[in-house]
Amino acid sequence: MKGFATLLWLEYRRSRVWAAALLGSLAFWAWGLEQVTYAMPEEQLGIRAGFLCAAAITGLVALAFMIGRFRSETRQGQYQILLLTPPSGYFHILARFTFALTIGLAYAVAIAGLLWWATGRAGLHLTSLDTAQLLLVCPLYGVGIVMAPLLAWTLLLMVLSSAYRISGTAWIPGTVMVAATPFVLRFLGERLGDVLYRLPGWRLFTGLDAALARIGIERSSEATHAGIVLPQEPLWGMLALATVMLVLAGRIWQEVEA
Amino acid sequence: MTDRMWSLDMSAGPIFLQIAQHVRQSLARGDLVPGERLPSARDLAQKLGVNPNTVVHAYGRLETDGVIETRRGLGTFMREDAPVAATREALVQSAARRFAGEVRQLGLSDKAALAALKEALDAGEA
Amino acid sequence: MLARLDRVTKRYGRTEGLRELSVEFPAGEVVGVLGLNGSGKTTLLKLLGGLLLPTAGHVTVFNGTPRGNRARSVYLGETDALYSWMTPAEAKRFMAGLYRDFRPERYEELLDAMEVPRRKTKTMSRGERGRLRLAMALAREARLYLLDEPLAGIDLLSREKILGSLVREWRPDATILLSTHEVAEAEGLFERVLLLRGGTLALDTRAETLRESGKSVVTAFREVLG
Repeated sequence: MKGFATLLWLEYRRSRVWAAALLGSLAFWAWGLEQVTYAMPEEQLGIRAGFLCAAAITGLVALAFMIGRFRSETRQGQYQILLLTPPSGYFHILARFTFALTIGLAYAVAIAGLLWWATGRAGLHLTSLDTAQLLLVCPLYGVGIVMAPLLAWTLLLMVLSSAYRISGTAWIPGTVMVAATPFVLRFLGERLGDVLYRLPGWRLFTGLDAALARIGIERSSEATHAGIVLPQEPLWGMLALATVMLVLAGRIWQEVEA
Repeated sequence: MTDRMWSLDMSAGPIFLQIAQHVRQSLARGDLVPGERLPSARDLAQKLGVNPNTVVHAYGRLETDGVIETRRGLGTFMREDAPVAATREALVQSAARRFAGEVRQLGLSDKAALAALKEALDAGEA
Repeated sequence: MLARLDRVTKRYGRTEGLRELSVEFPAGEVVGVLGLNGSGKTTLLKLLGGLLLPTAGHVTVFNGTPRGNRARSVYLGETDALYSWMTPAEAKRFMAGLYRDFRPERYEELLDAMEVPRRKTKTMSRGERGRLRLAMALAREARLYLLDEPLAGIDLLSREKILGSLVREWRPDATILLSTHEVAEAEGLFERVLLLRGGTLALDTRAETLRESGKSVVTAFREVLG
């Protein structure tokens, strides 16, 4: 336990500048949101939501880069030092993952907070239950379904590239893979949805329809129930996938010769 | 004992013997007196930059030869009855043999050898 | 036997770093691993440290695999590989948090004895970093120390401090393998000397035995490898 805590501390020391920059960039996004006053009120919410999507994606990509900065360590020999520490590769990988995920979660909560603020400005007042769901459940769901597998994938990719000494140009396919991942995940999610959906989803934002109606937006007639339902299967699937990738990454990390 | 500058010669035979020899010389010269405490093996090893086991080996040889003794918990000491006179005698004799060997190799007669020796001794005193 | 190599060969692509090397290390020995560049010194130490796996043969340390026993052995490599932002205090935290045999008081004593400045490593000279790395290594109370060129590229005064610390931290139950090019400076420390040439053992002898025939280790080095 002490070993893992030390590895977490090490990850924090290594990455704190990145983490600070990432969280600090939220100030930029917040400022940007504030500037959107020229458009029509109905458009403002849409624009802000789009802005926040951009913030989310940027944050995701930045986190992936933060977690993947191993290559310089391999070159400079710090990998040798780490390889000889008693904790196994699984713990080293898990420590990196945990730190990045924690920062990511904080970032996601902040984005959710900004979204709440933006909806408030548009006159869309959510109930406290809906607000709590927006600020807590949504970030957790998002982190589990998108961030966890992406970060795990990045770690696995980087470990493979260090282990097999792939040259610097591996960055190109690596970046392509990282960028393509959200689309791949969406695709997978939809396919999974077609096949499964046996488990009950989580119903959120039951008060949303009423809130939308107050500002004159009617939800489409397709919606047969109040609020939004988040399906369970994709979340568990993605978490399982992330776990598998982390285990693989941990195993490969410690089998490397240095 | 090691305040005087002396260094080991790695080509001059086993280090432990050189150390033991140095202790004997210190005894003969009066740099170390019977009953005096010797540095610990580790301290001496550190000063000389050698493995402490080597010093232990040297001290072991000196103990077998009755020059030093270990007193439990106190350290290593020159024995009260350390053979000062005998050690001096032995060192003088070995110095003399070395001199004799040198001058024989140079083909000097006894007379010339003694003259050279006298000259060196006189020069040394001045 | 604390450690053993059994007909170990290590191939890198087409070159052989070590060729059918067999050697045993009992507990409590200080062994000098000497040889020219490329003779296999680093390969030997890395194999014992678990950083490399043999192409053929077996490496046994503490009756198990080297990497499996990494908590009981200390490997100090040649690469100057500390995090540039680390200070000695943070290095202490790193070591104490990960190694159970790390002794913080000993670490502080070593830092003082070797006069390591308390600053980030990126502001330290190479010699100072070398001394810090050695303090980190020697503050661990392990049974096997694998020191690969701890004196390389380090100024004379730092080397003297390092050798002094090595003597001071020596323990009778610890086995130390030390490879170095500074044969003359370090020779007094070695009880046993291994001379490697082209990946094989050219000489394996006790240092004092060499000296009995009037040869220093330096002389033997020249004779065998010159």
